[in-house]
Amino acid sequence: MIEPSTHLRDKYALVGAGHSRLGKVPGVSAQGLLEEAMLNALDDAGLTTQDVDGLICRGPDEIYTFHQVMGERLGIDASFSTTLTNGGASQVMGVALAAMAIDAGMASCVLVGYGRDNWSRVHANKENHMRGSGRPQQMYGMEFGPEFGYYGAIAAHGFGAQRHMHDYGTTREQFGAISVAFRNHALNNPDAVMKKPLTMGDYLGGRMIVEPFSLFDCSLQTDAAGAVVVTSAERAKDLRQKPVLIKGFGTGNNISGWFNGNNMTHTGAIQSGKTAYAMAGVGPEDIDYAQIYDCFTYMVLVQLEDYGFCKKGEGGEFVASGALALDGAMPTNTSGGQLSEAHVEGMLQVVEGVRQLQGIYGPERQVPKAEIGLVSGHGGNTVCESTLILGAA
Amino acid sequence: MSDDYAKAIPVPGPESLPFWEGAKNHQLMIQKCSDCEHHWFPPSTVCTGCGSRNIEWVASSGKGTVFSFVVFHRLYHKGWDGAIPYAVAVIELEEGARMLSNVIGVPVDEVKCDMPVEVIFEDATSDLSLPKFKPV
Repeated sequence: MIEPSTHLRDKYALVGAGHSRLGKVPGVSAQGLLEEAMLNALDDAGLTTQDVDGLICRGPDEIYTFHQVMGERLGIDASFSTTLTNGGASQVMGVALAAMAIDAGMASCVLVGYGRDNWSRVHANKENHMRGSGRPQQMYGMEFGPEFGYYGAIAAHGFGAQRHMHDYGTTREQFGAISVAFRNHALNNPDAVMKKPLTMGDYLGGRMIVEPFSLFDCSLQTDAAGAVVVTSAERAKDLRQKPVLIKGFGTGNNISGWFNGNNMTHTGAIQSGKTAYAMAGVGPEDIDYAQIYDCFTYMVLVQLEDYGFCKKGEGGEFVASGALALDGAMPTNTSGGQLSEAHVEGMLQVVEGVRQLQGIYGPERQVPKAEIGLVSGHGGNTVCESTLILGAA
Repeated sequence: MSDDYAKAIPVPGPESLPFWEGAKNHQLMIQKCSDCEHHWFPPSTVCTGCGSRNIEWVASSGKGTVFSFVVFHRLYHKGWDGAIPYAVAVIELEEGARMLSNVIGVPVDEVKCDMPVEVIFEDATSDLSLPKFKPV
C-alpha cells in the first residue's frame, strides 16, 4: 500500500509547452525535431536554454544515453538529467520526475521532451515499411513471438481488445466512435496531420491490419516532437504564460505481463490513476478533460474505464454516447490525439493538456471552463502507465 | 519438414533450452514451483507465484483454452507470404501458464476466446519443432 505525498500538490508548474513541425518532416533527425520542440517550449515560457538545469528526455531507443546527445547539441550542463525508457509511459513520467527532482533540490528548471522520426524511418526503405516500424530487426524478441508470426504492438494491444469484446460485448463500432471523435477534434487543429473528415462508414471500410484492428484503429507514423518546461509554482508567477499546476501524478506498471491475470482488460491506469487522484485530492468527477494515450483505439476505451470515467465494461457505450466530443461528458484528445494529430508516444498529450489550461484556444477547440485535466501515458508495449493531473493556477 | 524454412527461427536464451529440447521430442515443457505448485511461462529462474528458487521443468498436458487471439491480415515477415490470414493466440494451459502460439486446423473466423484447444507439434526444420494448438 502506498501513500502519495500530498505536499507536492500544486507546488510545481508547467510553464511552457511546444511541439515541432508534425507529420512528414524529411531531412530532420529525431534530435533536430526535439530541439525544435524544446526551443518552442522555452519560447512559450519566455526562457532560454541558459535557464535550464534539468533535462529529461527520450529519443530513438537505440541511441545510448540520449540526454547526453541532447545536452551536447543544446549546450546545456544539467544538475539533473536522464533518458527515460518506459515506453509511452515515459513522457508523462518525465514531468513527474521533473517535479520530484526539483522538490529534492536537484534542479530548478527542467526541460522534458521526446522526439521521433518515425515517418522518415518507416518510409526510408521498403523493408522497414513491411515491418511497419523503423526499429532495427534485432529489437524484436528472438523467441516466443516471431516464430509464430507475432509482430508489432498492434498484436499485443489487439489481444486486449479481443478479450474485452469477449468479456463485455464491446464492438468494433464502439472502437470506431473513438477514431471518429478524435478526427473531429483534429479538424479544428491546424497542425494536425489528418485533415479529412472520417465517418463511421470510412472506419468500418478501413482495411483490416491485425484483427480486431483495422487501419483507423492505429495511431499515425509521424515525424514529430514535443516538450514542456517544469519549474516551481512560485517562479512560474513571473513567467510569460499563465502557469499550469501539477496537482498530482501517479504510475502503475503491470510488468508481470500483459498475458498475466486480467491485465489485458484492467490496465496499469487503475493503480496510476488512484495514486494521482490521491495526490491531487480529486476524483474522476472533478476532471474536465482527458488527454489519453491512444496508440490504438481500444487503449482509450480501457483507460477511460480504469480512470473511473465510466464503469468497467461500459467503456464501449461511454465512447459511443458522444462523451469524447468537446461538449461531451469527458472531452478527450482535443488535439486529435495520436490517431489523428501526430504520434510522439504521449508527449503531445502533455502539450495539449497544458495548452487547454493556458486557455489559448478559440471556442472550436477550448474545453469550456476547463480547470482540471488528466493526461495519461501508456506503454512498455502495453503494461506501463503514468498519469498527470493538471490544474489551472 | 524442410530446411528452406522461411519463417523466423527462434534463438533460445540459456533459460529456455529445456522448452525447445522438449518441443523437439513433442513435449510441451513449462516450469513448476516445487513449493507452491504454481506453473508459469516464459522461463525464469524463480517462481513467479511465490518467489521460491525451488523450481523444476515439467511436461504440460498440452490442453488449454484460447485466452485471446488476433488475426494477421497484413504481411510483416516474408516467411508468412501465402499464409495470411493467420491466427496468433495467447493459450491458457490447464496448468495455468499462458503462452503465445498459433491456432491452426480451423478457419480464422471460427477462432473464439475460451475455445478448448490442444497442442500439436509442427516439425519446422530438422532441428526445430513448434508447439501449435488446434481445437479439441
